[in-house]
Amino acid sequence: MTKEKTFTLIVDAVREILPELADHDFGETDTLDGLGANSMDRAEIVMTVLEEMDLDIPLVDTHGPRNLGELAQHLSDTAAVKAG
Amino acid sequence: MSDSAGLVVTGIGVTTAVGRGKADFTRALFAGEHRFAVMDRPGRQSGTRFVGAELPDPVPAPRLDARDLRTASLTGQVALATLEEAWTEAGLDGYDADRIGLVIGGSNLQQRELVRAHDRHRAKPHFLRPSYGLSFLDTDLCGLCTSAFGIRGLAHTVGGASASGQLAVIEAAEAVAAGRVDVCVALGALADLSYWELLGLRAMGAMAGEDHADAPAEACRPFDRGRSGFVYGEACAALVIERRDARPAAPAPYARLSGWSVRLDGNRDPNPSLAGETAAIRQALHRAGLTARDIDYVNPHGTASPTGDETEVAALKACGLTHAAVNATKSITGHGLTAAGAVEAAASLLQMRHGRLHPTRNLTAPVDDAPRWVRGQAVDADIQHCLSLSMGFGGINTALCLSACAA
Repeated sequence: MTKEKTFTLIVDAVREILPELADHDFGETDTLDGLGANSMDRAEIVMTVLEEMDLDIPLVDTHGPRNLGELAQHLSDTAAVKAG
Repeated sequence: MSDSAGLVVTGIGVTTAVGRGKADFTRALFAGEHRFAVMDRPGRQSGTRFVGAELPDPVPAPRLDARDLRTASLTGQVALATLEEAWTEAGLDGYDADRIGLVIGGSNLQQRELVRAHDRHRAKPHFLRPSYGLSFLDTDLCGLCTSAFGIRGLAHTVGGASASGQLAVIEAAEAVAAGRVDVCVALGALADLSYWELLGLRAMGAMAGEDHADAPAEACRPFDRGRSGFVYGEACAALVIERRDARPAAPAPYARLSGWSVRLDGNRDPNPSLAGETAAIRQALHRAGLTARDIDYVNPHGTASPTGDETEVAALKACGLTHAAVNATKSITGHGLTAAGAVEAAASLLQMRHGRLHPTRNLTAPVDDAPRWVRGQAVDADIQHCLSLSMGFGGINTALCLSACAA
C-alpha cells in the first residue's frame, strides 16, 4: 500500500475517533498529540488503520513515527516488508 | 439504620421503554401502557424470537461529547440521560463535587455490546479495539458518569443480581448516613442482555419463552396464574439521596428512606426463599419503626416466575401485609434486572407524590386472592408508607421502606 493511501486511511481513522476534527485540513506534519488525541485515542486510531491494512503487528511497533506523514511512511514500509 | 438520619430522595430520573423521563413514565404507568414486542436490537436474537421491551432510538446522551459517544455503550448512554434528569431536578450543579457520590447497581451490564465486539473480531482478534480493554468493565460507567458530571466523592458498582438497583439505593443511603458524602446518587443501570443471556435465562426456566412471540402484549403477567416467567425490559433509574437538612436549596423531597434491609438466604441457586423474604421485610419495617399495618402499599418484586410470585405472596401474607395495595411495575416495564429495584423505587415514589396507584397489566386470574391487587385501571390512594421489594439470584433479598415526609 502506498504512503499516500496509508495517509488517507490514517486521516479517515482520525476523523472517526476524533469526530470534532471532521473539517480539519490534515497535513503530514500534524501530530496525534497536537490534534488532541489522548493515549486511548492514539491506540484506537492506529488499530483502526492496521485493520484496514490487514497489517498484524504489535502497537508498540508503531510508536516511533513523530507525525502523520512519518506514521504513513512507516506503516506503508512495514506492510511492504510483510508482503515480501 | 432508622430514619433518624433523615434521608430523603430529592431527585428522580427514569428511562424505560414505556417512558423516557418522569413525566412520560408516570403517564404510561397510570395508563398501563406497554411496549412489549419481539425484540430487534442487534445482538438480541440468534434464530430466536425473544419478547421484551426495548427503548426507542436514539437515546440522548447529554454532557457526552462526540468522542466519548463513539465508545459509550447503550448502558452508559442511558445512564447519562437518566442521571441528567435526577441531577437537574435535585439541582446538583454547583454543589461541592467532593461531597457527591454515585453508586451504580448492576454487574455484567454490557453483555450485548461485548458479544457484538466478539462477533466483529472473532476472525481477527488481533485487531480488537484497545478501548475494549476499558469498556468491558462495568466500572466504565463510573468513569463516564463521574467525568460527565464532575462527581468526586465516591463511585462504585454493586452487584446483587435482580436486587442490584435496590442495593444501590441502600448503599447510597448508607454512604450518606455514614457521612462519606452529603449527596449520593443511586443508579440502577440498564442490563443490556445479548441472546446468550436470554438463552440461558430461558433454559433455566426463569424467563417467558418464545411461545408469546405472536402475542407479546400478553407475555408479561406477574402474579397471574397464566404466567410463565419474566419478560425482559430495558430500563434505568436514578435516585438522588441526601440528608434532609444538607442543602437549603434542595427541592421538596419525594419521601423519606425510613428503613431498609439486605438479607441473604445462604443459597447460590435462583430459587426464592420464604424465610429470606420475610426476614428482609420484617427487618426493614423494624428499622423504620413501623408495623405491617402502617404500610399502605407494596411494590413487590413480581417477576412472573412460577415459584417466585407464589413465594412472594406467601411472604406478604406471613408478614401481615394483605391489607396493603399491591401492583407489579414489571407488568408495564418488563424486568429491568439490575435496574429493576431502582425503577420500582422510583415508580413507588412517583405514585406517592401523585396519590395514585398504577394497574397491574394482565392480572386476570391472580395466584392468590389475599393481596389487595390493583388491576384493571389506576386508583387514587393516599400512601403514607410504602414497601418496595427486590430479590436476586443467589439468595439476595432487599426491602426498602419509603415514608411520606409529613408522616
